[in-house]
Amino acid sequence: MSDETAPALTALLAEESIRLDEKADDKEDAIRQVGAALLQAGAIDASYIDAMLERERSVSTFVGEGVAIPHGTLAGKDSVKKDALVVLRFPDGVDWDGNDVRVCVGIAARGNGHIALLAQLATVLLDPDRAAALRAATTSDEVYELLKPDPEDE
Amino acid sequence: MPERTVTVASSVGLHARPASLFSQAAAKAGVPVTLTSAAGKSVNAASILGVLSLGIGHGEVVTISAEGDDAETALDGLAEMLNTDLDKE
Repeated sequence: MSDETAPALTALLAEESIRLDEKADDKEDAIRQVGAALLQAGAIDASYIDAMLERERSVSTFVGEGVAIPHGTLAGKDSVKKDALVVLRFPDGVDWDGNDVRVCVGIAARGNGHIALLAQLATVLLDPDRAAALRAATTSDEVYELLKPDPEDE
Repeated sequence: MPERTVTVASSVGLHARPASLFSQAAAKAGVPVTLTSAAGKSVNAASILGVLSLGIGHGEVVTISAEGDDAETALDGLAEMLNTDLDKE
């Protein structure tokens, strides 16, 4: 894995893209909210949101630890204007095909940038304590702290 | 321990749909399966987070290994998955 060329997760996450007290009726509503946050961040064209919904129909982006990582299909790449992350927390949970999702990390990435981003994110979530802290985070500072690269992983 | 070395065929690498399908299949294999990247990092193949954490791209070489009675059969099936472009199906 070529971590040295990958941007840090935190560098792609604008403070206004961290929304910690959201509510969603269902999975599709949650994905649309994640898409809207990416749109407001200037990272995507609106058509990327359809690509996110299509990806979700193809396979769930639920990854465990109460976290889903909605992102577009390969065909949606053209709708990405810049690489970005958004973090939406749903304290009441969202029913994700029977799984309870508390946090959605939305991803927009051009080229193969998503692979390195997902690898960093997965490494954070593999630590149950960090995953639990992310589910419980109430301030953007906490989110930044949790997603910061862990020097021990280098 | 039985193992297979495979080149990842999925055009998007081992993430998203291919990673989900692969880890689901590994979870159903009946024996614990380990996935190791070319860099030598090993994870539980049945863990989607573990698989994603390796950040495996298209064309990268990985090794899968397993122990137990059904290891050979399980590895054959999983190796075939990795050899297939899972994002196309």
